[in-house]
Parts: sequence; structure tokens; C-alpha cells
Amino acid sequence: MQISLTVNGERHRVDVEPRRTLADALREDLGLTGTHLGCEHGVCGACTIVVDGRPVRACLMFAVQADGASIATVEGLAADDGTLHPLQEAFSRCHGLQCGACTPGMLMTALHLLDTEPAPSRDRIRAEMAGNICRCTGYVGIVDAVESAAARQRELAPEA
Amino acid sequence: MKCPPFDYHRATGVADAVATLDAAGDEGKILAGGQSLVPVLALRMARPAVLVDINHVPGLSSLEVRGDTLHLGALVRHLTLAEQDQHPLLAEAARWIGHTAIRSRGTVAGSLAHADPSAELPSVLLACDGAVQVAGPGATRRVGAADLFVGALQTDLGDAEMITEVELPVPDGWGFSEFARRHGDFAVVSAVATRFGDRIRVVIGGVAGVPHLVSPPDSTPDLLTVSGAVQDDRVAEIADAAARGVEPASDLHGSADHRRALTREVVRRAVAQLAGTPTSDRTPVPA
Amino acid sequence: MTTTSPAPEPTASGTAVRRKEDARLLTGRGRYVSDLTLPRMRHVAFVRSPLAHAHITSVDVSEALETDGVSAVFTGDHPALASVSLRAQSGLPGYVETDQPPLARGKVRFAGEAVAAVVADDRYHAEDGAEGVDVEYEPLSPQVCAWASPEEITDPVHDEAPDNVLLSRTFRAGDVEAALAEAAVVVDREVTTNRHGGNPIECRAGVARYEIADRKLTFWSGTQVPYIVRTQLAGLLDLPEGNIRVIAPDVGGGFGVKAVLYPEDVALCLMAMAMPGVALKWVEDRVEHLLSATHAREHRYVLRAGFAADGELLAVKADAWCNAGAYSVYPWTAGIEPLMAGGLLTGPYKLAHYECTVRGVTTNTSPSGPYRGVARPSTVFAMEALMDSGARALEMDPIALRRRNLILPADIPYTMPSRLVDDSGAYEACLDQALETFGLEGWRAEQQRRRAGGGKPLGIGIGIYNELTGLGRAASAGPRMAFRTGHDACTVRINPDGAVTVFSGVTSQGQGLETTMAQVVADALGVTYDAVEVRIGDTDESLWGFGAFSSRQAVIGGGAAHLAGEHVRGKALALAAALKEAPVEDLDLRGGEVYMAGQAKSIISLAEVARVAYLQSDRLPEGFEPGLEGTKFYDPIRGAFAAGVQLGALEFDPATGEIGILSWVCVEDAGRIVHPVIVDGQIAGSIAQGIGGAMYEHLVYDEAGNLTTGTLLDYLMPTSGEIPELTIGHVSTPAANPTGVRGVGEGGTLAPNAVVAGAVADALGVEVDDLPVTPASVWTLLQGVTP
Repeated sequence: MQISLTVNGERHRVDVEPRRTLADALREDLGLTGTHLGCEHGVCGACTIVVDGRPVRACLMFAVQADGASIATVEGLAADDGTLHPLQEAFSRCHGLQCGACTPGMLMTALHLLDTEPAPSRDRIRAEMAGNICRCTGYVGIVDAVESAAARQRELAPEA
Repeated sequence: MKCPPFDYHRATGVADAVATLDAAGDEGKILAGGQSLVPVLALRMARPAVLVDINHVPGLSSLEVRGDTLHLGALVRHLTLAEQDQHPLLAEAARWIGHTAIRSRGTVAGSLAHADPSAELPSVLLACDGAVQVAGPGATRRVGAADLFVGALQTDLGDAEMITEVELPVPDGWGFSEFARRHGDFAVVSAVATRFGDRIRVVIGGVAGVPHLVSPPDSTPDLLTVSGAVQDDRVAEIADAAARGVEPASDLHGSADHRRALTREVVRRAVAQLAGTPTSDRTPVPA
Repeated sequence: MTTTSPAPEPTASGTAVRRKEDARLLTGRGRYVSDLTLPRMRHVAFVRSPLAHAHITSVDVSEALETDGVSAVFTGDHPALASVSLRAQSGLPGYVETDQPPLARGKVRFAGEAVAAVVADDRYHAEDGAEGVDVEYEPLSPQVCAWASPEEITDPVHDEAPDNVLLSRTFRAGDVEAALAEAAVVVDREVTTNRHGGNPIECRAGVARYEIADRKLTFWSGTQVPYIVRTQLAGLLDLPEGNIRVIAPDVGGGFGVKAVLYPEDVALCLMAMAMPGVALKWVEDRVEHLLSATHAREHRYVLRAGFAADGELLAVKADAWCNAGAYSVYPWTAGIEPLMAGGLLTGPYKLAHYECTVRGVTTNTSPSGPYRGVARPSTVFAMEALMDSGARALEMDPIALRRRNLILPADIPYTMPSRLVDDSGAYEACLDQALETFGLEGWRAEQQRRRAGGGKPLGIGIGIYNELTGLGRAASAGPRMAFRTGHDACTVRINPDGAVTVFSGVTSQGQGLETTMAQVVADALGVTYDAVEVRIGDTDESLWGFGAFSSRQAVIGGGAAHLAGEHVRGKALALAAALKEAPVEDLDLRGGEVYMAGQAKSIISLAEVARVAYLQSDRLPEGFEPGLEGTKFYDPIRGAFAAGVQLGALEFDPATGEIGILSWVCVEDAGRIVHPVIVDGQIAGSIAQGIGGAMYEHLVYDEAGNLTTGTLLDYLMPTSGEIPELTIGHVSTPAANPTGVRGVGEGGTLAPNAVVAGAVADALGVEVDDLPVTPASVWTLLQGVTP
């Protein structure tokens, strides 16, 4: 099936089998391997991306369902000149990543959280990030990073 | 863990979806949110010949209160359920479904049609004595909650039928309690308590193949004293009776006896909440 | 060429510099094996046995071969594979050697064992083909339990071991019976620990490509041990070792599970050799991982301890059974868990009289292998259970009893009853700091308050442990194998522009070794952190390293990096001295500039020295060869013990058994700390895995040998919703190695079992003998004590 999708602002046309997951289409057909697969049954959260403004598991959506959709993946977070997004910056500073396998999903989940709640408490961060399994960090650095990025974003965009 | 091949049909309307399902015999499956279906396919535990994607069917995303009942289109997502304020019990229950990335895709009708006995929405439907509107090859029909769930992951729906709308009466009072192993997991045991007028209904999830309705008493028991305090002993009586009335199975996450104890506790919490007292289950940490 | 100039003041070490790995990993530009695409690449899916124990009577691949997109199907009897076996070897007396075929031959020994492999255009079609492979089995009686009585064994897992025991060893010191006879109290415990596993977020992955023209095999593998893989593959594939290149690029977590050379890896390489020029890719999925990547920690301990009236631990007698699974894990052997268990059971406690018999028992379950902390999460639980029982029997405070028996600074070096030599005396210092940070008095008061006035019962648990890290040749990891894992190499090369490339033998699966090695070299050499680039994980680039296991790399790889850095610093200074006609002993190299003692201004830059060394041989002084690089090996000979203490306050809901963690404190002696944030990250991550094992993670087989926890819906790993805030503290006593570090990779996993179980006992007055501790188990235990 021919589909078209917009990923990080760039329009793509691809031909996929109906059974191909959106995650596989991004990784294999578009070469966007930043979206990782950790379980392929919707539990670990590694493949979390943002589709039409909402976080989804890219392993639980078929590429054909994303026909016409606008998708954000980890590759689109940093600025074109390489400047890291405040979340990426905070994850580095707070050691919110080790092996990096869960990181893209963590970032995209956190991105949505901060888009909807500019000042989440640590408990809220823990609850919201609980759909993403990290095997390396013990989560302390991740919670620190999201909290710190939220503070930074509030500084950058003070309420009008 | 890659899905087996299937034909994909993007339905343009309910009639188109039903006709495609009908033509597929028992080889068709509706694809709505996909949050339960796709893992089953990835594990190759099912191999439908045709997936009928209803996500583009117009008119299935409405949400409105008519009379005392919330009417939900089949495609209303769990995130929307959690955000709406017209049915507070539904909002609370929806917040317990998985995680945000699951809730943003999962649909109300998909969850009911999947009929997982541990899932939140089937219990809520039964506790509210709700119903679903079903479209099929023949006439449309309305199926009440008590008739919809026939077994674990089994419903009364025919192969070519689909839920188009969910009717969920708004209760006068409610309580919701769930015990899960981890944040966002399916419940080990859950309880939903509702009050409509002077009748209360208590539904327990996770103790049988279908949500378990505790026989409602004839009238509201005296849950509150004249001064408005919760009658702990009355709540406990209901909880004890509920626990006695279930025959849970043992599994990885708990023995039958433990599930019965959990039943008593989640029912106690839900009924106490219904009666108006929030239960606190966190004890403060010393400074 | 040597130099006597003073070492530069460390500047990169000890600071939380930005990790070199972060920029690519945060932007989706990581280079994982799972991401690799090559021309003419095809994909592999394995057909796995649905039965735990059975003869294979026939394999029909005809339908699979007709499946769309399928190009080949291999079985165990395929000529490319039929003669190859993985045979984990050990010189230990009584060890029974057994074979593991790359794909099952004649018989399957666990549910999930690979029986056939399908090669197709993509993974979807490979899985389609796998469904078309028709295998007929004749079931045998499966044995799942490692401590079943011998008469229950009707069909041994391996014919070579009729009693299923692959290895048994008794550790002995002193006279246990006599010491027990003199003891004021004798306590008995019988405990079991739960099978669980590593579950890195990136599962196993490999790409193998063979070029027949020059007989060269390249194997991209998410391995922790590329050099061991290369050596073992050379033997198994009958290729010269130099013809094999193993590349471990970014690896999405390891935790020991990827320190094994698996039959699937060997099958993939053999298949690639049978399909020259075609790159074969296998990325394990999560269901395969749960079924067939190595498991760990399914142990049983029968314990007896004797204490004197003043609390002195007099004797420990123990019998241990470790479930080794269906195969002796390659190349570590079935001894990996039992030998570690027997060697370190007594932990940080002084003991003269010890007798411990350990066994590695084969069963029809997935093989057990290295998993972060190897055996010690179980032994610390067992030992701390004995201490708690001893304290109750003596009516002594459990912490006072422990303190009474700790190995103290004055005892160092302390020869443990297993003859391992402990060089750490920091246990009491860790304990003191942990107790203060935790606020023991406050928690005891809260506990009393709740007992008197209601509220959920609260318990305090403790685990004290010694993490054996950075094992040198005298204490090398593994049971008398054909190789000793005591050393690593590092090459430091100053490039013609003065920047530095480090070729280190370490590997990284998230531990940030590129960063740590760069810090160590920057300081040893005298350049800035930013001037150093580190290459790891490619056997064609770096000389040698055994890889990531036994918390060894900071100690050993770091030691080699330091020595190599110092060595090249000496070379650079000697050349600078000759060029500037200055006495070398007066020169110093800092931040890439050479300074003369007493002068503020640099006399020559390292870049200019390097330019001469590579490009301007006409300026090279007499006796100097071109180039500026050096390679050093390091072996610490023994190892560096790292002390650790964890304390937790937990509350329990008697109605449901629900467990709440209110506080968790860990104090470790990591020695000198190179990167404080990475070190704390290692500790936090390992505590989280320890809590996972203590409370959530359990791989459960039914009696028929079917794994009943085959997806992440049933195998529960903790999330940010379960892991509490962790308070981590340090007691830093430098170890006797070039960088002064002690390993930190595993220690965190060692205590949570003991902490959680101890807290249950402290809160509820019931002994926890079996793990994991779950709401169901807590509730069930409570039914025994409440009417």
C-alpha cells in the first residue's frame, strides 16, 4: 500500500505491507532508527513517538494507519544546527540515560508531558513516565532530567 | 514478533465496515485503537484474514449527555474519557487504563469488545448498568452490559457486528478502587461501586471470566450515620459479603485466597468512597 | 624511554564531564546492531522448541522453503552446522563437560531452544517461514527443579550426567562441627531465590557476513565480550583468529546476559559462511529473550550458623543448589553461579569455620548465565537471613550483631574462608554513614509509633555486602577455564594534530566507558578531556580486552588506560625535551602544552611535538622513532573489593499485602571516583534491578517446563512508579591500582533481596524464606500469624 506521512516536518511516500508496524516503517523504510523497539507488544515504551500531537506506541500502530499523519520522532527534537532540545540537554546533564535504548521513548513521552503540564511534580513525572521501562538508570536521573527540563522551559517561555 | 499477513480495509462507514466483516465470515477483525489486538497479532496468537480499520469512520467520536446518560461514540479514546467531566466515574476509571501512550489510541468500544475481565471499562459499564448499540448485517440492536460479557475475552457480539455507541448512565454516587502489581498494569482485582437513587451496585473485576456484579441490595444500606459519618461496619459487611461471593482462580499474581482478600479490600475502599469518605492509603513519612 | 616527571594533577577525573556518548544517543543517532543495514542483507528467525524435553523425530522444511521471501532454512543436521558444538570447559575436578549444538540435534532440552533457522528478505517473511517448519517431537520427561531428589530423574538432561549434577564443590575452612558444638546458639534457615534475568531494552542482536575470497568473517554483535567471542569463534568456525572481526557498536544494555556466546550467535556465523557475501541479521525479540537468553538466580540454600553468646559468628554450614538450566553456559560453564555462591556467601563477615557444598544442576529450563551480581544477590539474602535469625535467637540488635562480625580495617588484607583476599575494610564506615543518612532512630521511633497507635506496619531491612571487582589473574573470573581474565590493553595514540585517539579493550553497554577512559587518559597524559576520542568494541581497532563483566573495566581497563597514557606522556615529554634541549625532569604536560618548571608559559605544544613525530622526521632528534603512541596492559593480580551497605524502610498493608518503599539508602566504597554521576548512575541502576528481582521479576516454569511468564505482561520489570527515590552516599578509600578505583557495576543488586525480606521480618515478625516478596506472598505470610 502506498502511504504518505510527514515525519519531523518532512513528507515521505512509502509502499508498505499492511502488517508493517509504524515502528518498522520508520526504522526500515525511512532509515529513522532513532525510534527503538524493546518489546513489540506495547509494554516497554521504547518505541513511543508522537502522532498528530499525541504519544503512541509505534509498535502498536500499523504504518497504513499513519497515512496522512504528522509524526514527531527523536530525530526531530534537536534544532537543525544541532542545538539540543532542553529535554535532551537535561537528560545529558542529569544522567537520565545510560545505554540509550529506552531514551528516545523516554524523551518523546516527556515531551508530551511537558507540552501538557509545564510544572509537573516528581510524583506526576514518575506516574507519567511509568509506561516506559528503563533498565539502566534506576529512573532517578530520568525524573531529575524531566523536572529540570520543565524548569528550564518555564524560564525560556515565561507565562505571557 | 511480526504480525502474520492480512488484508487491510479502511472502512468509510459503519455499513461498509459491517459488510466487509460479513464478507470475511469469521476471518475478519475490527481494528480500532489496536492496543489489545496488535500484541495478539504480533504474538501470532490470532491470524485474521481481514482487518477492518474503523478509525476513519465518521460519526463515531461523539461524546454527549442525553438525559441521565453519557453517550459515547465507539472511537472515543481513553484519554478523552479521562479528560471529560460529565461522567466522573468514567474519568477516574480511564485514568487507570495503561499509560498515556496507550490511552491516546485505545477506544471505549475496543476495550468493551475485547472484554478483558481485568479491564476497567467493562466493570464500569456493568456497574452503571449501561448498554452498547450494535450494528450488524441485519438490524442494529442494543445489548445491555449484563448480556454483553459472556466469558473471558468473549462477548455476545457476532463476527460481523460492531459496537457503534456506548450508553453509560451517570451515577448519583460512585467509588472506584483497583489493586495492580505496578503502576498502569491490568488490575489484579478492582471494584466499582455506584449509586443510582437508592440502589447501589458493586462490580468486581479480575475474579471471574466476566465482571462480577454483586447482587444489589433492595435499597441503599445505611452507609452514613445521621451525622453523615461513614458506617464502617456497614461498609465492611458489604465487603465481606462480596468477598464471600467470589470464586477467584489462582495465578501468577496471587492465590485465590489472596484475591478474595483483595476483593474485600477494594470493595471496602470503593464503597467507602461511594459513601463519601476518601480512603487514605499512604501513611506520612517522618521528617 | 622513561621519565621521572611528576604526574599531572588530575583535572578530568572526579568531575561530571559531559558523556561523550550522549550527543548521539540523545538525538537518535546511536549505532546499534539492531539499526545496521548492509547491502544484500537478509533476516533470520529461529524456530524454537515448544517442548522442554523431547527427541526430535523429524524436521520438514519443505513448506518453509516455499514461503514467500524465504531463501534458506537451516536445521541442526545441516552440513554447515552438524559438526559444531559449544563445549564450556573447566579444569575443576568432577566437572562434567557437555555439548550445546548451535541448533538442536536429535534432542531438545528446553522450551525455546532453537531447532531451525529461516533466512528471508525481512523478519516478517522469516517468521512466516518459521511457522512453516514442521518439527515432530517424542516427549521425554522434563525436570524443572534443580533440587529434586535423584529418584525423580527419569530422563537425564545430558547422558553424561545421570544425576543432572554438572558440577559440585565443597568449600572448607576450619572445623565447622566443632565450632557449632561450642556455639551458644545455632540457627537454621532454608531459603530459595527466584529465577529472573537481565532483559536489556535492546535484546540480543547480530549481523554476520562472510567474504569467501579472503575467508574473512565480520560479526557485528551486541556483545559485552567481543575478544572472547572472536577467540571462541575462531575455534568453532575453524578460521584464523585474525580473519574474524567482531564489532560491538552501541549496545542497548547488557547486564551479563550479553557476556555469553550463544548458540544463535554461532549458528548465525555458520549460516553466513554457508551463504557467502550475504549479510545475515538476527534481532532477538522480547519473547525470544525471555525464553532463551540466559536466566539466573534460581537457587536454594540450606543453612546453619552458630554464634557465641556475644554475637561472634563461629561457623556457617551451607548446602546450595543452583539451577544451571539446560546447558553449561558458554564459555563460563555451569560453575558460574555455584562457585560464586560458595566463594562469597560469607560476605563481609569474619569467619573461621566454614563448610559449603555448592552444585550446578542441569534442568530442562533456559540456561543460567552471568547476570549483574552473579549469585550474590542470593548469597547476601541467605547470609543476612542467618544474621537476622542469629540476632533474634540471641535477642541482640541485628545491626549490632552485624557490626560485631564485620571485617575491619585492621583485618586487611583479610583471607576469607573461601581463601579470597579482601582488601576493603570499609564496611563499618559504610554502615555508619548509611545509618546516619537513613536516620535509623527516626524510623525506629516511627515504627514504635505505628505499633502503638495504628498505621501500616513498618519494617527496616539491611544488607551489607562485598562486591568483588576487577579480578586479576590470581582471582580471575570463571572456573579454571582455558583463559584468565585478569588483564586488558589500551593504546594511546597522539595524532599528528596533537589530538588523542584511545583504542581501549573495554566495551560499553551504557556504562559510559568512552567517557571514563577519556577522563583517565586525559589526566594520565596531560591533555584536556575534549582532546581525547575513545574507540571501543572493535577487535580490529583495539588490541585486547576481556570485556564487561565482574565490575572489572574501570579497574582493569582504566588501569591500562592510565598506564598507556603515562607511557605516551613520557614519550612526548622526552621528545619535547630533546627538541627544546631542556632537561626532561623539569618538563610537565598539562592541557596539551609542555611547561618548564617555574615558567608560566608553555615551551612547546603537544601538537607541535606530534607534528615533528609524524611529519617532520628531519627535526627528529637522534634516537627517536617517528610516531607517538604506546600500548600497555594492566592486571591488578588480585582484585578490589568494594564495600556496600543498603538500608530500607518499607511499609506493608495487612489487608492486601501491598508493599510501600518509604526510604532507601545506599553507601558504597567505590574507591577514587572518576565520574561521580556515572558512578551514582551505576549504583542507582543496579539497586533498581535488585528491587526488581526482590519484588517483581520472576521467570516461572510450570511442571511441564513451559515458561508461564513469556511476555512483559507477566514478567514485571519495575518502572519509575515502583522504584523509590534513592539516596546514595560514598566512602572513598582508594584501591591499590593505578586509578585507585573500585568497581561499581554490580554492588547495587546485591542487597535489595536482603533489605526487602529483612523489612518484612522486622515489620511483621515473619521470616521470609522465598523470593520474590510480593503482595501475595506478604499477605500469605501474614495469614500464618494473624488469627
